[in-house]
This record gives sequence, C-alpha cells and structure tokens, in this order.
Amino acid sequence: MGTAIAGLGLYKKTPRTSFGVFASVLKARLIIISRYKGSLIMELFMPIVFAALPIMLGVSLASGGTPVAENWKISSGTADFRAFMLIGACTFSVVSLMTWLVGFWVRREMVTGTLESVWVTPAKKYLVIGGVTGYALIRAFTAFIISFLIGSLIFGVNPFQGNILIAVLFIMIGLLPLWGISFMFGALILKVKEANSLINMLQWVLAFFMGVYFPVTVLPGFLRYVALSFPPTWMTNGVRASLLEVGYFFEHWYIDLAIIFVFAAVVPLLGYMVFMRTEKRLKKNQGMGLY
Amino acid sequence: MKSGGTAHRGFGYSDHSRKQNFFTFLSMTKKQVIEFSRYPISFVAEFSQVLLIVGMFMFAAIIFIGEGGAGLPRIAGIMMYGFVLNMFLIFVLWEIGFSVREEQYRGTLESLYLSPVNKFSNLTSRIFAIVVWTVGMVGIALVVVNYYVGGLPAENVLLALFLLFFSITGILGMGFMAASLILRLKESANLLLNVLQFFFMIFCAMFFPFSALPPEILNTVTRWIPLSYGVDSFRSVLVGQSPELMALEWEIVVVVLFGILSPIVGYYLYRRGERKARLKGTLGEY
Repeated sequence: MGTAIAGLGLYKKTPRTSFGVFASVLKARLIIISRYKGSLIMELFMPIVFAALPIMLGVSLASGGTPVAENWKISSGTADFRAFMLIGACTFSVVSLMTWLVGFWVRREMVTGTLESVWVTPAKKYLVIGGVTGYALIRAFTAFIISFLIGSLIFGVNPFQGNILIAVLFIMIGLLPLWGISFMFGALILKVKEANSLINMLQWVLAFFMGVYFPVTVLPGFLRYVALSFPPTWMTNGVRASLLEVGYFFEHWYIDLAIIFVFAAVVPLLGYMVFMRTEKRLKKNQGMGLY
Repeated sequence: MKSGGTAHRGFGYSDHSRKQNFFTFLSMTKKQVIEFSRYPISFVAEFSQVLLIVGMFMFAAIIFIGEGGAGLPRIAGIMMYGFVLNMFLIFVLWEIGFSVREEQYRGTLESLYLSPVNKFSNLTSRIFAIVVWTVGMVGIALVVVNYYVGGLPAENVLLALFLLFFSITGILGMGFMAASLILRLKESANLLLNVLQFFFMIFCAMFFPFSALPPEILNTVTRWIPLSYGVDSFRSVLVGQSPELMALEWEIVVVVLFGILSPIVGYYLYRRGERKARLKGTLGEY
C-alpha cells in the first residue's frame, strides 16, 4: 500500500477496488432514486397507461361488433390482444428506462457540474458507467416485473401463461444489447447536450420498430428489415412468443435467443467504443463539463 | 400616472396601459420564439415523435378492424380528433407549468416578477408560440392520416373549430392551475405533469370512444371533467355521430362555460399561489 500506482493517486487497481467503484456508483444511484418514491410509482404505471390506450380502443370496437380478437389473431398469432399490448408496453418501458437513465445520468452530471470531477477520479470509466447501467438494469427489470403483474391484474391477463423461464431469459439477455444502446444515447447527449427531445424521439423510433402495439411482420418489407436490426425487437417478440405462443422469428426459441446473444456480444462493445470516442473528441476540444 | 416624471406607485415607470400589456406579451413571446429557434433539432424531433405515435396507433387500429374491414376512417377520426385535444393539453400543461419551473431553475423568475409588467401577459406569452406550433403540428398529422386512410370524416368543421377554440381556452386555464401547483411543488412538478397528462388521456377517452370506459368510471370520474365534453363534442361533430356523454346542445354549453370560466379560475388560483410564494419568499427558490 506504500506506493501509489502512477497517475492513479492512492488508488490501487485490484478486483476488490474495481468492484468497489462499481458497487459505490450503483449504491449511490439507488439511494438517490429511493428519495423519489413518486417517480418510482409513476414508472410502474406508465407502461400500463401505454397499454391501456390501444386496449381500450380494441375493447370498444369489440363491443361494437368488430371481431377484434379474430382479426388480431390473424395478424399476430394470438387473440389475446390485451396481453400482447401489455408485454409490448412493458418491454418498451425497459428500453426507455435503460436509454433514458444512462443518457440522463450524463446530462445530470453535466448540469450539476460534476461530470468532469467524476471523470478525473482515478477510477476506470467503464466501472463508473457500469455502475450506472447496472442500476438502470435493476430498475428496468424490477419495473418490468411489477408493471406486468399489476397490468395483468387490471386487464384480466394471465401473467403465468406460456413458458415464463424462457421469457425471463429473453429479458435478461435482451437487456445486454440495451446496455450498448444506452452508451450510444450517452454519447449523443455528450455531443448534443440539450438532447431531451431528441432522446424522446429516438425512444419512439425504438417503440415503433420494436412493435409495441403491433407485430413487426405487418410492416412493409424495408421497414421490417430495419425493425429486425434493432435488438429490442427480438427481445419483445421473444417474450411474446414464449408467453403467448405468437411464434419466434426463426421458429425455435433457441435460434432467436442465439441472435440476441450475438447482439449482446457486439452492441455493448460498439456502444462503449462510440461513447469513449465521443468523450475523447470532446476532451480534445471544449471539454466534458461544458453545460 | 402615465410614463413621465413621476413613477406609478409600485410599478416604477410602467403605465400598465393596454399598449404596454400588449408589448409585454409581444416581448415575452419573442423571447420564447428565440429560445425555441435555438433548438431546431427539438422541433424536428417533436414533430417526428407525433408522427411515430400516430403511426403506432394506426397500425393497431388497422389490425383491429382487419384486412379490408370497413370503418377505418371513422376509427381514425375518433383517434385523431381526440389526439388533437391531447396535443394541446400536453403542450399547454408542460409549457406553462414547466416554463415557470425553468425560470425558477435558472433563477430568473424573481427578477421577472420584480419588473413592472403585467403578470397575465407574462403568463399567456409562454404558451402563444407553443399553441401556434401545436396547430401546425396537428394540422400536418391530420393531413398525413387523412391521406393514409383515404379521407378522415369532417362533417361540421365550423362548429368543431368553435368547440376547439373554447376547449383550448379551457385547457389554458388548466395550465394556469398546474403552474400554481408547480410554484409550490417545485422539483415534483415533473411527476405532477406526468400524472395529469395520463389522467386526462385515459379518463377523457382521448384515443378511444367513451364506451370503452367502465360505467362506474364514466359516471364517477369522466362526467365530472369538463374537458371530457370538449373531447366528446369536438369528435362527434367532426365524425358525424351523436355525442356519448349528453345531448350536443348541452355539451356545447358546458364547453363554452369551461372555455370562459377555466382561465378566470385558473388565473385566480395562479395569482393566489404566486402571492403565497412571494409572502413565504419561496418564489425564486429552486
């Protein structure tokens, strides 16, 4: 402990200290959000509201004599449009939270003037970002489970139908590419700064292409390929297929899961690379902390 | 006392004439427009967002109706006309409420209040630009959907515009009320606005017919919100169907009263909230 690592002050890079950095950031974020209980409750009800809007439309059409369930089955493979919408809205909430929480963390640190200070600490940046994204993962996954259960109760959906284990696997693995996407959002915020509306818009782009309210198979040719290049599309369809048996893109769950694995291996690395490149460029020019 | 040698008591050199009120409104609107113009990406992003949301709903509606199913223009009309009012509601709530919060955040709210200008002009100027922008945005969205579904129903456009006008002035009043709450709630404002937005979206049946709501909710919540009648009447006269909540004549009366009384009550509540904040010394507090 006598000599410090060059350039790192008294910080000594060991697995224990590395985990300490990760855990401290994670803990700090969790403590901060625990002070905003209203936001947490709101977060749980948001996907339910999103699901409610098209469900209500479907219900009213059905009560008017339109064979809504039959029509929905023809296009999606299931007559249970309520469950279909609820799963879509809950997975969208996961995507939205992951991208927003990481992106907004960068912005918040900029606004409060602490981004540069965080950056000059001798801790590895990927550990700091890892802590933030780990926090986002915990929050998003918890929100998904609770929202889905409450939504199921409200809309009369059986939450325990289908193969739950495979559905959980799709969510868990599907969250990893989101990690990478959230890095890219973080990079975008570093560059554009006041990017709230841009992030909002990009979230709706994701919502559109991941098929929150409809199966992506109804999209015209080119748009369908664009949709399939988004990892969240695979996650959403994987969860729906395992719970509602709407059919996997490649017929078997393990092939779809393998595709998500590929995304999970490539997208986080790509995202981190984009983030670090943006950061490097900024450091060479105006600096990181500029509001 | 008009501007000249002696100052008006408590208002410095301000004369509080109609001309000055108008120029206050104009200057503040100009400030808002300049601020908006500095974020062109936001404009494009907001507009694209609107089209994406509409697109998502349209795809769902098309699947609900089925291949070659009749009635798509009517369903699209029900959704889109509710969506028009929803857009005004969201933008007014966020813009009035949040711009007050932003002034607090930047630390300029107290300075603005110390300036000898009309408070009403100050407040209304915050939404003038955004209302104009919303008109443009929903106009283009309507044209796109109209083209997509092969013609949206548009039965009684003049009466619909009349109802839309009073619904918007009513919504402005709701914006004033939200702003008064935000002065008190400060950092929880975000949450309040989100809750309000979703509350009205569901209980005023903005994206679906009122028949989708359970009768208990319809009778205990929806019928007590004046904006519900704005949504119902505006949608009904355009789609060419009977209103769902009450007879059209009575709905018109409710909407007109809402459009007149809501800004008055809202502004009164805002002034009360602002006065309380000033007495407590928390007006400019972050």
